[in-house]
Amino acid sequence: MKLPKYPLEAEKSLMVFEFTSSGPKGQIKKIVKYSETNLKDVYNLAFGEKRQSTVEIDDKTISNNNDIDMVLATVASTVYAFTDKYPDAWIFATGSTKARTKLYRMDIGKYLLEIKNDFQVFGLKDDEWVKFEKDTEYDAFLVQRKLL
Amino acid sequence: MNIKELNKRKTPIVTINKSLEKLKNQPLFQDKVDKANEVIRKVGLPKKKKRVS
Repeated sequence: MKLPKYPLEAEKSLMVFEFTSSGPKGQIKKIVKYSETNLKDVYNLAFGEKRQSTVEIDDKTISNNNDIDMVLATVASTVYAFTDKYPDAWIFATGSTKARTKLYRMDIGKYLLEIKNDFQVFGLKDDEWVKFEKDTEYDAFLVQRKLL
Repeated sequence: MNIKELNKRKTPIVTINKSLEKLKNQPLFQDKVDKANEVIRKVGLPKKKKRVS
């Protein structure tokens, strides 16, 4: 996605990324975390605000920093970095609320043609993985990098 | 490389920050990981098709 993105930092395994959102609410540190699941090669993708004084991460706060497109583009760019390192990975994602899941679904839909060049994209509907289609509600998403 | 060129790249340039190591093994977003595990247990993965390029 040729959208502006924030500079990224990560630890060396690329399971944890950090970037700083910048807007009217100030500088807000965000963490993107890829977590192993019980199934090999399947990772959960989640992101949220990093609380300054602790290592607590909050994925329910709405930052209102007027940069949601840039934040989501930055998170999406971590998927490229992560799957460059782990090309067999399946990445599972869902929102912390239905509204968030809808937001992510709309964002995937907006860039679907481009995303489909590089990833297989599935949505969870009625307890079944189906090929992601625009304007369809899903409970969760799953992507895997296409082979080069 | 300028900002425009950077923004055109799909794979970002990532700076390594060792201080993030401490978050790697912390159970962050555990509710979402639990949900992912539950869905995978119940539904599995999409039917295996040949991975395409």
